Amino acid sequence: MMPSLRLSGQRALWAMAGVAIIGVVLPLLLRSDFWLNFAIMVLFFTVLGQAWNILGGYGGQFSFGHAAFFGTGAYVTAVLQVKFGINPWLGFVLAGIGGGLVGAAIGFLSFRYGLRGSYFALVTLAFAEVLRILANAAAFTGGGVGTLIPLKQTAANFQFVDKTGFYFVIFALMLIGLLLAYWLENSRFGARLMAIRENEDAARALGVNAFAIKLGAISLSGALAGLAGAFYAQYFLYLDPRLAYGPGISVEALLVPIIGGMGTIFGPLLGATVLHVVGEIARKVMGDAVGLNLALYGMVLVAMVLFLPNGIAGLARRQRLKPKEERL
Amino acid sequence: MTERNRSRGIGRRQLLAAGSTAALVAGVGGFPAILKAQAPAIKVGILHPVTGPLAYSGTQARAGATMAIEAINAAGGIKSMGGAKLEAVLGDAQSKPDVGAAEVEKMNEAGVSAIIGPFASGIALATTQAAAKHNIPHIVDVGVVDQVVTRGLANTFRFGPGLAKVVDTAIANLVALNAASATKAKTVMIVHEESAFGSGMAKTLNEQLPQKGFEILETISHPNPTRDFDNIALKIKARKPDLIIPSNYYGEFVLLARTLRQQKVEAKAIYSILGGAASNFRFVNEFEDAAQYIIDCNHWVDPRKPEAAALRKKVEDQKLFFTYEVFLNHECVRLLADALERGKSSKREDITAALTSSSWAGHMMPYGPTKFVNGQNEGAAPVNTQIIGKDIKVIFPAAFADAKPVFPMPARG
Repeated sequence: MMPSLRLSGQRALWAMAGVAIIGVVLPLLLRSDFWLNFAIMVLFFTVLGQAWNILGGYGGQFSFGHAAFFGTGAYVTAVLQVKFGINPWLGFVLAGIGGGLVGAAIGFLSFRYGLRGSYFALVTLAFAEVLRILANAAAFTGGGVGTLIPLKQTAANFQFVDKTGFYFVIFALMLIGLLLAYWLENSRFGARLMAIRENEDAARALGVNAFAIKLGAISLSGALAGLAGAFYAQYFLYLDPRLAYGPGISVEALLVPIIGGMGTIFGPLLGATVLHVVGEIARKVMGDAVGLNLALYGMVLVAMVLFLPNGIAGLARRQRLKPKEERL
Repeated sequence: MTERNRSRGIGRRQLLAAGSTAALVAGVGGFPAILKAQAPAIKVGILHPVTGPLAYSGTQARAGATMAIEAINAAGGIKSMGGAKLEAVLGDAQSKPDVGAAEVEKMNEAGVSAIIGPFASGIALATTQAAAKHNIPHIVDVGVVDQVVTRGLANTFRFGPGLAKVVDTAIANLVALNAASATKAKTVMIVHEESAFGSGMAKTLNEQLPQKGFEILETISHPNPTRDFDNIALKIKARKPDLIIPSNYYGEFVLLARTLRQQKVEAKAIYSILGGAASNFRFVNEFEDAAQYIIDCNHWVDPRKPEAAALRKKVEDQKLFFTYEVFLNHECVRLLADALERGKSSKREDITAALTSSSWAGHMMPYGPTKFVNGQNEGAAPVNTQIIGKDIKVIFPAAFADAKPVFPMPARG
């Protein structure tokens, strides 16, 4: 059974308000584009991690193929824009719907046949790979050559001249992710989802429609990942099948909540922040020595997984639960 | 103080006299080198994927760029700017576009005057755009996909030829080689990797080769990485094409060539375009037998220029292979140095202006003087090379050739 790392409703709301205030003020303090870009990437991976967290953290359904949703969202907005001239803001919304629909389709096929645990993980990995191959072969995605979104820097075109515009979009998306997680922790749907995570058979015995709940969770998760994909497409304006559906995105999506704390509201935010800060420190420490920063980063990850089995949120929880005298 | 000076035999007056004499001598110009302030170093971002799947190419590219910087500094730096030295600010794109873009931001903070890199097209699309925001002139070393220079970014300059130019030249040269041959090649099989590079190439070849009278028997794609080429080789053997056109990265190219050799697949030519290994001395050294007579249309130096031979020796003395990543980056740095010399300024806008009007002819490439039109060096062109013995020879066009083409290649037994 997963230890409860939940914050009480009131505390979580206060913490979210704090995050919102810091997030709004942050671009005013960050004078450097490098750090603004750093913040954008942290928030981007938080959103992606939160998408995984909804299904894996709260629902206990570990996916190795979140790239399937991410890539679909990215391609939906890019292809609609490039091939059909559809405004990318509309494309952004449709990307969320596209990610959700792919989530629903994969969920339907997997949960319908009772796939759980490692079988479910492998199936999601396989779906992402199938989509990568299809994107590679299809003409409308640009095939292996990929899709390049034309550079036309206007806010109406979802291409901001200033990075601050991108920052606020991804920040808003991150807040939506936090609110979704909060809702899961405080709603009937979330309670049922967590019941399935703890013991699916017992949940069924109590009358929970496990299939419908899991299907809802994977659709929600897919939609959020799809929105993250659309953001990525607009930020970098280039996509190819490997970038969109490659295993790298799936690994990043699960690493963030695992390090931060699965099944917690703030786990993905903590995980993405720590991973990026550690990555940057490793670069600073190792200087120009090729690849040593990645080795150091890997070692820190291994240590974190070994010593923080419940992630950073788990560590905070452990500190909170310690008797006062022990803490002193 | 006085006591101590006295004990050493130097009085206060003597000390003052000596001091003022020294100052006078220096002021008059007796020690100009000491007195003159060192011109501030010009920071140059050297951005490549030195880790991840493209690490080999990235490392080679970095080596070429840093060698050029060392050579320029050793020769006195940028003379029109008081001998200002170039200072490399190294960046690792980790073979990912987003990391490449983040590195550009970091380089901007570090105050680079220009950026050179980043080898791969996918990364170049992200880095040129990130650099454009800060008006950093970005010289693209390889990044052959044409969209790199067709987005109207005033800061982007590609020194080498783009994909369309390479493919057009390769097809024109193939037609010319075929016309000059007694036995004509008619049928083709294309084997390509499935990313942007290989797929783009295969698409263009499928459009253009039939117009030139070639029949494409089959186009086979493979993922990266692929380690077993037996089935593909056997398929080629069964269909007996006159020409095999591979389009893949180094590892897959080597494995395909080795398998074709092991399966004793015969053809009139293995004609690659931007072949991953076909113009690579590592391949020639390690698999000489499989590499024999492979023709490539690729970036290469002008073999008649002594600087090219000197650079090759220098590279090989450092136990590196003389590959296109090395010399293209080497020449990109020299192109930048030329712009700095002419522009006499390390300001970004001045470098951009100097590059825009560049007509540099002092390079070691088989190009004319540089002429940038919408960021593309119109003077750039690929050449055809062929592996003959233990060497890579230029066989086409004749103006740069140092060997006659072996076409069709003799049966390899």
